[in-house]
Amino acid sequence: MTHLLLAAGNTAVSTPSVSYHALAPIFIVLGAAMLGVLVEAAVPRAERFTVQLMVTIVGLVAALVVVGLLHGTRTTTPSPTGNDAFFAGSLSIDGVGLFLQGTVLALALVAALLVSERSVDVGSPIVASAAVVVGSADDRRLTTADRVQTEVFPLMLFAVSGMLIFPIANNLILMFVALEVLSLPLYLMAGLARRRRLLSQEASLKYFLLGAFASAFFLYGLALLYGYADTVDLPGIFTAQQTSGKSDVLLYTGLALLLVGLLFKASVAPFHNWTVDVYVGAPTPVTAFMASCTKVAAFGAILRVLFVGFSSAEWNWRPVIWAVAIASMVVGAVLGLTQTDIKRILAYSSIAHAGFILVGMVAITKQSTASVMFYVLTYGFTTLAAFGMLMLVRDPDGEATQLARWSGLARKSPVVATVMTVLLLSMAGIPLTSGFTGKFYVFRAAWDTAGPLVVIALLSSAVAAFFYLRIVVMMFFAEPPVDSPTIAIPGWAASVALTVGVVVTIVLGVFPQPVIDLASKASYFTG
Amino acid sequence: MSPYYYLVLSAALFTIGAVGVLVRRNAIVVFMCVELMLNAVNLTLVTFSRINGSLDGQIMAFFVMTVAAAEVVVGLAIITSIFRTRRSASVDDANLLKY
Amino acid sequence: MLAPYLPILLLFALATGFAVFSVGIAPFTGPRRYNKAKLDFYECGIEPTPQPMGPSRFPVKYYLTAMLFIVFDIEIIFLYPYAVANKALGLFGLVEIILFVATVFVAYAYVWRRGGLDWD
Repeated sequence: MTHLLLAAGNTAVSTPSVSYHALAPIFIVLGAAMLGVLVEAAVPRAERFTVQLMVTIVGLVAALVVVGLLHGTRTTTPSPTGNDAFFAGSLSIDGVGLFLQGTVLALALVAALLVSERSVDVGSPIVASAAVVVGSADDRRLTTADRVQTEVFPLMLFAVSGMLIFPIANNLILMFVALEVLSLPLYLMAGLARRRRLLSQEASLKYFLLGAFASAFFLYGLALLYGYADTVDLPGIFTAQQTSGKSDVLLYTGLALLLVGLLFKASVAPFHNWTVDVYVGAPTPVTAFMASCTKVAAFGAILRVLFVGFSSAEWNWRPVIWAVAIASMVVGAVLGLTQTDIKRILAYSSIAHAGFILVGMVAITKQSTASVMFYVLTYGFTTLAAFGMLMLVRDPDGEATQLARWSGLARKSPVVATVMTVLLLSMAGIPLTSGFTGKFYVFRAAWDTAGPLVVIALLSSAVAAFFYLRIVVMMFFAEPPVDSPTIAIPGWAASVALTVGVVVTIVLGVFPQPVIDLASKASYFTG
Repeated sequence: MSPYYYLVLSAALFTIGAVGVLVRRNAIVVFMCVELMLNAVNLTLVTFSRINGSLDGQIMAFFVMTVAAAEVVVGLAIITSIFRTRRSASVDDANLLKY
Repeated sequence: MLAPYLPILLLFALATGFAVFSVGIAPFTGPRRYNKAKLDFYECGIEPTPQPMGPSRFPVKYYLTAMLFIVFDIEIIFLYPYAVANKALGLFGLVEIILFVATVFVAYAYVWRRGGLDWD
């Protein structure tokens, strides 16, 4: 070891050259998050909410614009210099990366609007002060106070910056850091609900313990791959598979453990156990954020790991992807059928959708990459709006998510019932909605290589369609309950967010071609 | 001494941590088991660094340590906030979400 | 082989010897005058904080302090490698490390302004 240390000491270190403009979206979001923390420190409480909201929106919009300006970029950064190339090329800004970054930013923008909705519940859906003990006198007083824990905005920005790095990381240790940067704020955000706070804190604890457990597996996989390839660079691991003389046990165990960590984040069965509880316990806008943005980032990372690092080992991982895709679709569809709570149904639906997305990954083609990218975009907007709708139907003590409370909703509010119907039909994959086009492209991409899998996917989406349609039928044809829930009138923020979600759902169903073209044009990796 | 012994040791530590997460009931202990897993990974990284004759593994261990510290802080914050209400850190008591 | 370490070992032995000697000789040579302040717990000159009540229950603020300590303590890990290689890294390294310290400082400013460093 001594000679190694000495050697490192004697070598002239050449500084890496980082292409800062290609990383600008990440810097903008991180900078906005830092600014948010300073706002918390310096701005008086009365103005904090407005300032935070402005910082968040401006930061996300600016980053989105820069992503748009970067289109067509093919670069890896930092560029390799000298003989020390550990971090060289650890971030690759390519079509897939930029498309997914843009998707994350657009979804986060809509989710931020949902989080900032203040007219539906007194104050906000976010707790007034997370540090106050649940059930204490202070807590009861603050539940109806106009205060809000504005730290949620910087936390969200930090999570978004992790999500921006996650799908472009070419280096596994960087991917791990990004994974934690996106997860740690989410653990905290899950515990910030204003109503049913204990439930929310438990969701947070559960998410944290299981999330940390899963990332430990990811890390052990990384260590084994480092032992195998002497690098944690995805292209380097790819090359090592042709040249390395080491045991394949290291390679396959490493890949398997890596996938455990990634599939957990994407809430794929059998690593889905946390999903339902956390989605139910977390504040609804935060659930919407998690369900849409985290999925985009996680599937982006899975795409990159499998397609860049292990595309020559496909015969070894393809059966695994088959198995977890089937498990996920079946678990989501069958268990979703037995639920009586709409938030839980949407959570199971998100597990099923994770399975559908994996179907798109079994073929390593440009087409399948594009189909996965298109699917996460459509699903993101639909699920964001669907969770957003849950905020509107309320009982005196919070959201009325029991299925029975939604019966006969169409009589009370035809608009809410109709919008929810559109979103549910999209999730079920009915034509003229984005859900249908997304499923169509994913299944078509997989058809040649994995016909039977597509058949299973079609069957389970038929089963899943049943429980979406059951909600629709209840809303329109059942008798309303005696003390029917109130329909809150959303303020400007939630109105904009819900409108965007629904419009994207319909437009991508009727007129999807431009976005599909964009996705297939962007479906290239640089490694 | 062969560096491969350290791989066996770190695998054993990782397994102890993983089993601990699954069988222990106190949130703090579960959390410490996760930390044990992360440290087992660090040992693996440093050992492979020695076997492969490159320093990269040691650099990565730094990153893992930093991330683990951040995780400790977030985890303790969540656990103490629940503890202040419940006066107990058992994960079995956290059962409102079970049906 | 061990030659370069000999001064270190010698220094170590000297230091140990001095410590043992001074602690050992103190009871025999020092005057014995006790008062309340002398019998109190020693906490770096600060008024001792009340001990936790009951078995193994520490007030939450101890955890808070511990958490803050861990975060800021671990960040030092990145300063050491920089300190070793700062000449070779030149201006690039300086800018990067200033950015890093500024990032940590933002967190510090938040903790300080929001009362995380106040004990009561």
